[in-house]
Amino acid sequence: MERESLDVDVLIVGGGPAGLAAAIRIAQLQSERGGEPLSIAVLEKAREPGAHILSGAVLDPSSLGELLPDFVERGAPLAAEVRRDSVYFLTSRRRLRFPVTPPPLRNHGHYIVSLSRLVRWLTGQAEAAGVDVFAGFAGAELLFDGNRVVGVRTGDRGVGRHGEHKPAFEPGVDVRAPVTLLCDGVRGNLTKQLLARLPLEGRLPQVYALGFKELWDLPAGRVGAGTVVHTLGYPLRPEEFGGGFIYALPDNRIALGLVVGLDYRDPHFDPHAAFQRLKQHPMVAGLIEGGQLVKYGAKALPEGGWYTIPTPYADGVLIAGDAGGFLNSLRLKGIHLAIKTGMLAGETAFEAVRAGDASAGRLAAYRQRLDESTVRRELYPVRNVHQAFASGLATGLAYAGVALLTRGWWFRDPWPGEAGHERLVKRADYYGSDPPPEDASANAVKPDRLTTFDRLTNVHYSGTRHEEDQPSHLIVHDTDICRTRCIREYGNPCTRYCPAQVYEMVDDGQGGKRLQINASNCVHCRTCDIMDPYQIVDWVPPEGGGGPQYEGM
Amino acid sequence: MILVVAEQRDGAINKASLEAVVAAQQVGDAVKAVLLGGDLEPAAAELARARVEAVLTVSDPALAAYTADGHVIALEQVIAAESPELVILPHTYQTRDFAPALATRLGRPIVTDCVGLGRQGSTVTFTRPMFQGKVLADVVIEADPPWLATVQVGAFKAEALEQGSSPVPIVPVKVEIADGAIRQRPEAPFREARQAVDLTRADRIVAVGRGIKGEEHLEIARGLASALGAELAASRPICDNGWLPMDRQIGSSGQTVAPKLYVALGISGAIQHVVGMKGAKVIVAVNKDPEAPIFEISDYGIVGDLFDVVPAIIKELSA
Repeated sequence: MERESLDVDVLIVGGGPAGLAAAIRIAQLQSERGGEPLSIAVLEKAREPGAHILSGAVLDPSSLGELLPDFVERGAPLAAEVRRDSVYFLTSRRRLRFPVTPPPLRNHGHYIVSLSRLVRWLTGQAEAAGVDVFAGFAGAELLFDGNRVVGVRTGDRGVGRHGEHKPAFEPGVDVRAPVTLLCDGVRGNLTKQLLARLPLEGRLPQVYALGFKELWDLPAGRVGAGTVVHTLGYPLRPEEFGGGFIYALPDNRIALGLVVGLDYRDPHFDPHAAFQRLKQHPMVAGLIEGGQLVKYGAKALPEGGWYTIPTPYADGVLIAGDAGGFLNSLRLKGIHLAIKTGMLAGETAFEAVRAGDASAGRLAAYRQRLDESTVRRELYPVRNVHQAFASGLATGLAYAGVALLTRGWWFRDPWPGEAGHERLVKRADYYGSDPPPEDASANAVKPDRLTTFDRLTNVHYSGTRHEEDQPSHLIVHDTDICRTRCIREYGNPCTRYCPAQVYEMVDDGQGGKRLQINASNCVHCRTCDIMDPYQIVDWVPPEGGGGPQYEGM
Repeated sequence: MILVVAEQRDGAINKASLEAVVAAQQVGDAVKAVLLGGDLEPAAAELARARVEAVLTVSDPALAAYTADGHVIALEQVIAAESPELVILPHTYQTRDFAPALATRLGRPIVTDCVGLGRQGSTVTFTRPMFQGKVLADVVIEADPPWLATVQVGAFKAEALEQGSSPVPIVPVKVEIADGAIRQRPEAPFREARQAVDLTRADRIVAVGRGIKGEEHLEIARGLASALGAELAASRPICDNGWLPMDRQIGSSGQTVAPKLYVALGISGAIQHVVGMKGAKVIVAVNKDPEAPIFEISDYGIVGDLFDVVPAIIKELSA
């Protein structure tokens, strides 16, 4: 097939904070140091910049200030400065306030932001600096020459549901570059391809969490802008990692969410139901009663920390941001690390292109930059914290306290860790002889459709849209496993951990069940790719432009 | 004066254009309509019966087949000559193709997908949905006229069209279209699916959902549709299963309809479906589950098994 190809000097996949920071940094170096102008291209699968990104989000502005010292004057959309911090431990009816806010959760000098808006603004800054942002184009596969990455093929457009070419078929474009930056986010599909091909995995397997977020408009006067609340405990049990958050934006709007570790044990645990239960807790219910849901979304987070970060470079390629696992799970922050790693990757890429050498040996300068920067200074001391939480909330909290004193030292270093999906226990082992029905949620909630909702209604509020007539972008390599083994062993947990009702087990008309994939509900969170106990799900990008619409998230 | 850009194809005015005239009649006394194309006589004669001041026809060989450039060039000149306060267009696929370019060419603001228009003195308020219909925003334009607005299909009722006492003059208008100014070369129109249906034109719709259980049971819904003289439609799972073609899907990923009668069989009423049909005048729902959300928006609700209820209705209708 004839494919168009495009040659650029630096190709960046993913128009999030990491990719855009890299692009801006390269453009800055180019204008500081002069020389042949470089062509810098950013591929972004969302139709509009920022449409596929969401985060809590409390921004530590340190690295944004390094990238663009005058970000305030340039009109960066910072919704509110943090004014009050508090942390609560919740029981099913009560709340207990931590007498002092633990240092990692102190947010003085930080800002509550909509990451979607911040990214849209950063895209404008990048474009003004001469960067080409191709919105609506997903990176479908890496192009290799031997084991050297030479670019990315974008997804085909106009392919029908059964793989046939529709009248408007357009083959994807090969974008070729001496150096490619993978900033494709948590469990990015291209980073996944790279790690499958080259031995770059970190010392420990990555561990993920799933974050739910809703925006609510409240009656006036309930909570002052700049208020930050974090919760531990209910609706999660001590064996489940995670916590809730409430961030108060201006104009009586709040961001409300729950982060749940994707290393829970109970196969009938339902993360979406847990989020509904958080909203039923008196502390939250009283806040949102009479309010209006405005937006819903979900994303996965890489929480494993320092020892799970892969070797972030190879011939012709660098990895930055969530794609590389650069997130501080103790501080619940990753945006500043995405920006910082993007900048460092950008600097490394710029020098490599100027030197005409993008070999792994040259790009290893990226690791050195990371080691000498705030990235290591921030992540190394907390390198074992997430793994400690896998032993339970009490152990995790105790270790987190110890780590603050010992700078992370512990008798076992690294603290052993395993992939989250491997911790999922089979129904028979978890429940013994009396497991719940296969399709039951252990923590089911009957939605009242005022403050609690079913998944399908929530998906509507994510604004998700895809071209309907296209192949499923969720590839389950063996759907027989779903109806034979998984239903018996785990009760099809995909129907519970997917936050968007993509997966359903429906009657097969012969007395059994079969898997139905509602691909166009997908909010691109990657949880299925991460959490499937058999690891037979591949998330690949749908036709460019399709996906959630996270404006304001 | 308000200028309505009406759409015609093969001599017929589409319903959405009549709705746009209704919208104009609601906010202004002086309304003119303009038609573009090749042979416009039959369409113009139909429009001339409405209560408007005049029907302008821009007939030019270069406009015979639709092109975005042709429409922008012609309408720019018509708007300059007529200097309307407001230009209203139906929010059709064709309008979506050229209207943003027209607004840019004129350097005028455009408010799209309006579901309501209001006037107080010289202030016109445009109501348009945001957040996928969750919020309605009232928009007031501060810039000087002319303004452009598109109206959502089905938001105004074509039946409410005020007719004039006698046909109004049809005024041919000449425009200059330079050679080479039209950059698109249109090919003959075609329908991608041979039997494509336009559910937005149906007065009655019978829609089926998961409650129908199997493809073989669709006959029962077809029976009701033919007894009612209605089109058959479906919620998403039915089309996903391939039991009905996708062009029969109602909802946020299908068509948005506003028929006089909408019969929902075995449809639970997920919000994705409801946004596509809540504008129906009379909604009848049949569902086994008394707590199904569809009953919240139904005018008539029947809690029962559709396999019992529907045959009874068919029998009653054909009695």
